[in-house]
Formats: sequence, structure tokens, C-alpha cells
Amino acid sequence: MILQTALLIALVIFSVLAIVLKDLLRSAISLAVSSLLLGIVFFRMNAPYAGVFEISVVAGLITVLFILTIALTKSGDEVRESRLVNWVFPVVFVAFIVIDALVMKGLMGKIPALAAGAESGTFGDVLWRGRTLDLVGQIAVILAGVFAVLALFRKRDKHD
Amino acid sequence: MTNTWYLYLFFAAALVFAGLLGLLGKRNLIKLFIAIEVIGKGISLLLLGTGFAKASILTAQALVITYIVIEVSLVATALALIINIYRHTKSLDVRNLAKLKG
Repeated sequence: MILQTALLIALVIFSVLAIVLKDLLRSAISLAVSSLLLGIVFFRMNAPYAGVFEISVVAGLITVLFILTIALTKSGDEVRESRLVNWVFPVVFVAFIVIDALVMKGLMGKIPALAAGAESGTFGDVLWRGRTLDLVGQIAVILAGVFAVLALFRKRDKHD
Repeated sequence: MTNTWYLYLFFAAALVFAGLLGLLGKRNLIKLFIAIEVIGKGISLLLLGTGFAKASILTAQALVITYIVIEVSLVATALALIINIYRHTKSLDVRNLAKLKG
């Protein structure tokens, strides 16, 4: 429990760093570290498949894509951010954390959650039988993503 | 079990709020997208935490894996869009997008 809390606190700290840091490369790397921590949290929740996906895909692939984009857009970090954000962000965030700690306990009782039935079988059964339609949707989304990237990077015709 | 659920809800809300603040305050397109990623992390933590607390971790895992797969194609498409915008406007400032009108 204590280790889990420490992991979650580190996760929030690295996510906030990813947003606040000025250097884009550093913020991409802190995002990767926060994904790694989230993956470890998933492992400790007895969700190994989600943890593996989180670490390999989100901490690996997405970080590579971000770093590639940052390398391709070199002068990107010359964007002038407003100075107001630099001190408003921490103040509002700390205020929210305090409100969150006070209010969440009361809200929890009101959140409608589905009645939990005992789950039977393995993860494979649930994924392949219970949620087959999700898998079809995933394939469609991946294809749509591939076509979108191809369309965005297509070479111009001579007539254009 | 309620205590662990509280823990996950608390941190998921913190992540989502941090992402929303980033979306509101930042101007760099890549920063805005990193903020969206942080919101996504909060949502997947919420899904798995609730699944863990309500003893239906397998369904929650299937949902989170679906989300991660969708996230990858979202990231690929959005980063390709950002690179194209950079080629057109030579900057990543979100305010320059308003000049693309017409």
C-alpha cells in the first residue's frame, strides 16, 4: 500500500513535470517515465497485460514518436508561453489537490458503479469472447490511423 | 477495499486536472498533446483502479488495452498533423492556427 502510494505520487509528479518543463525533449522523457511508473502500478494491481502494453507501447513507441516529432520541428521550443501560467499552474494545482482530498471521499459514495459479478476464466476468455467487438473496432482504428498518416504525408501531384 | 479505490480515484482526478490545466495554459502544440496524454493516463488509471476495487479486473484490463491501441493511432495521426502544421506555418504556436483561415 505504501509502495503503491509512493508510485502514484511519483506518477503525478512526473506527469506535472512533463507539462511544466520548458524543454520539449525533457518533457517527453518525463512522460515516458510516468508511463513506466503507471505500468508498474498496473503490474502491482494484478493486471500484467495492461502493464506490458503500457510499458512497451506507451513508454516505448509513443515516446519514440514524440522525440521524432520534436527532432523534425526544431525551432518548436521557441514558442513563447505566457508568464501567467508559470505561477498560476502550481497554485491552482495545489488548490485542486486539497479540494480533491476533501471532496473525493464524499463523492465516492455517490458514484454509480455496476454491480460486480464474479469473473470467471482467464484474461484471454474475457478479451476474445466477452469483448470481441472491441477487437474489431481496434483493427478499424489502426487502419484509419495508417490511412490518415499516409494521406497527411502523400506527395503532391505535378498538377497541384 | 474502499481505501484503495479512494487512492486510485484521487490520483486519477489529479492527473486529469493537471492535463486540463496544461491544455488551458500552454501554447506549444506538442505541449498540448502531452497534456492530452496525461489526461489519458488518468483515465486508464481510473478504469483499472475501479476494476481492481470492484473485483472485475479482467474486463478493466481489456478496456485499458483497447484504449492504449486507440491512443497509439491517435498519437501517430496527431503528430503527423503537427508536423504538417509546422511545415505550413514554420512554428508550433497554437495562436498561428487562426491565421490559416481562408
